[in-house]
Amino acid sequence: MPLSSHDRTSLNLQKAISYCLLLILDPIVRGLFYYYFRFSVYGGSERHKQIRDKYAEIRRTHSGPLLICTNHLTYIDSLIQAVILSSTWGYLSHPSGLAWNLPERKNFYHKLLYRIICYSGRCIPVERGAAPAEAKKVTQNMLHVLRHDGIISIFPEGKRSRDGRVDDKDFSYGVGQLLNEIPEAHVLCVYMRGTKDGGFAHFPEKGESYYMEMEPFTPASDLKGRRRARDISTQIIARLTEMESQYFQNNQKSNTSQLEKQGATE
Amino acid sequence: MNESEVYDKVVELIKPYAKNQDALASISTESNILEDLEVNSARLVDIVLAFEDDFDIEVEDDDADAIITIGDAVKLICKQLG
Repeated sequence: MPLSSHDRTSLNLQKAISYCLLLILDPIVRGLFYYYFRFSVYGGSERHKQIRDKYAEIRRTHSGPLLICTNHLTYIDSLIQAVILSSTWGYLSHPSGLAWNLPERKNFYHKLLYRIICYSGRCIPVERGAAPAEAKKVTQNMLHVLRHDGIISIFPEGKRSRDGRVDDKDFSYGVGQLLNEIPEAHVLCVYMRGTKDGGFAHFPEKGESYYMEMEPFTPASDLKGRRRARDISTQIIARLTEMESQYFQNNQKSNTSQLEKQGATE
Repeated sequence: MNESEVYDKVVELIKPYAKNQDALASISTESNILEDLEVNSARLVDIVLAFEDDFDIEVEDDDADAIITIGDAVKLICKQLG
């Protein structure tokens, strides 16, 4: 089912408007991030710079379609990720640099203000359990973005993890379906988590410090169709699960060494 | 395989994915897989793949999209089995 010219125009217009509004909205979002919520990047400014440099390098070496596959814990994960990954200037200098997001319609489209924010923030609303025709239309929008070398930020789990860990049992195959259609799209796995109260929540606590790790990932499968979609999605979830294990191992080590230091000084 | 056997097998394959255990007790061909049995929409893919494996059939995407009730699944599988 090809995307209608009306839908194509709508998406292109949304992209253009979102780009024009970047100069106004981006500083507001960053102001909220740093001063209202007092969020920071775990590891300090040097680590933040490393993350941004790595992301910029990934975009330099591959300017084609990109799927950013991130674990999902709070409603504003996409926003936090966008602030961490690039600066205002980074997004202004690369009009396609700001990723498209796929929020659940029922969570964000019931208030006009949220709708405006979502529109400006390049969102394509999705509806869980939507009728096949509606789901196909949304998928076509995503494919249009990817076919035009866009970036989509997607949560491969398909929902926020209720127990705070990557859900490797009951996850969606949406990311695999997109990669079936656009096999040339690159995958960037991102593990992000608040180090203070990180876990399942509607909104993170103020003062949260964000750990972020990212790795380009190339899933491979000899299967076809929906079996391939399932296989690829499973591989991406497995990668995120490994990244999560690494986070907890490192965190445990750092806690242990902190306790040891405390013990030594007592 | 007759329609009744297909129905029993379909119910058996869907059961592990149904979150509404009460609805399972009164399951029928009219039961809506997503709404009544509360199967997660993402799990429908697993169910269709299970149909393919167990009945040795191939289900096209459009046919899979048309499966709303248990009866739809039974009808589709019986048609494929000839």
